[in-house]
Amino acid sequence: MTSTPVRGSETAAVSLVDLLDRLLGSGVVLAGDVVISLAGVDLVQVKLLAMISSVRAETEEDGMT
Amino acid sequence: MAETGCYLYAVTRAGTTSPEGTGLRGAPLVAVEDRGLTAVVSEVDLTEFGEDGLRRHMEDLAWLEEVARAHDDVVRRLAAVGAVAPLRLATICLDEDAVRARLGEWHAELDAALQRVEGRAEWSVKLYVDRADAAEQAKERVSREPGAGAAYLRRKQTESQRRQEANQQAADAAEDLHSVAVHHAVASRRLQPQDPRLTGDTGTMLLNGAYLVPVGDDTFAQAVEAFTTAHPDLRVVVQGPWPPYSFASLEPQ
Repeated sequence: MTSTPVRGSETAAVSLVDLLDRLLGSGVVLAGDVVISLAGVDLVQVKLLAMISSVRAETEEDGMT
Repeated sequence: MAETGCYLYAVTRAGTTSPEGTGLRGAPLVAVEDRGLTAVVSEVDLTEFGEDGLRRHMEDLAWLEEVARAHDDVVRRLAAVGAVAPLRLATICLDEDAVRARLGEWHAELDAALQRVEGRAEWSVKLYVDRADAAEQAKERVSREPGAGAAYLRRKQTESQRRQEANQQAADAAEDLHSVAVHHAVASRRLQPQDPRLTGDTGTMLLNGAYLVPVGDDTFAQAVEAFTTAHPDLRVVVQGPWPPYSFASLEPQ
């Protein structure tokens, strides 16, 4: 039994990925005075991915060099 | 005292909210008004939220999460009492006059965005398929069939055929679910399916949809639930209500 559908609005803690999908990928974009040269959500996702992978690799004690 | 700036959380209609409580780093929320629009801001230290600080911190996952959650928390509190157009993470102006200037410059667009989301909330609908399961089931079916040699090849072929069919069915189901959701929503957006390495989920995400739904309208939830019930082999995850992040953009939709 692995395909139990999740129904309704059971609000488990909102995942960071869901949050960043919206906070970086959408919302009102006004150019503020502080301008950071992020190439948008992709770059951040790539960084997240790299960080999470490296954390997981450490946990798994991968012998990668 | 370090230099400070204004961190913008969201734009609301003036008079609908008097922002209470605090935002990032415990700073009190402030309402900056211009011609019927209110930007909800709080003061931030520019050593942390200036260009250098942001560039450095954006690569720090813990920092990013803390700021994202604080931002979301303020936006949710505002969304609970009125129409809200959330701003993208880390929108910062140097002072309140600069905030007012932005409100003036984008008045018509912000007003239209607020109108679009008023009385509506965002719902997230995701569809996952557990490929590992499907593959295992296929294998199980195959291993129960006796035989050797040519039969082995035939089995392999059947296995791959079944997998292909299952993939196609799942992709079709994602389109069907999206259609059902769109039919009961005012607007919709398909976000990129999330990388399983980021979500930690074992399944493959085939739909990552955002739907704008009138508050108090149950037909959307009912329709999605009916779909879910009719497809017990698929995993559908519904989350909401979200503030209308995906529908408050200033571009015409």
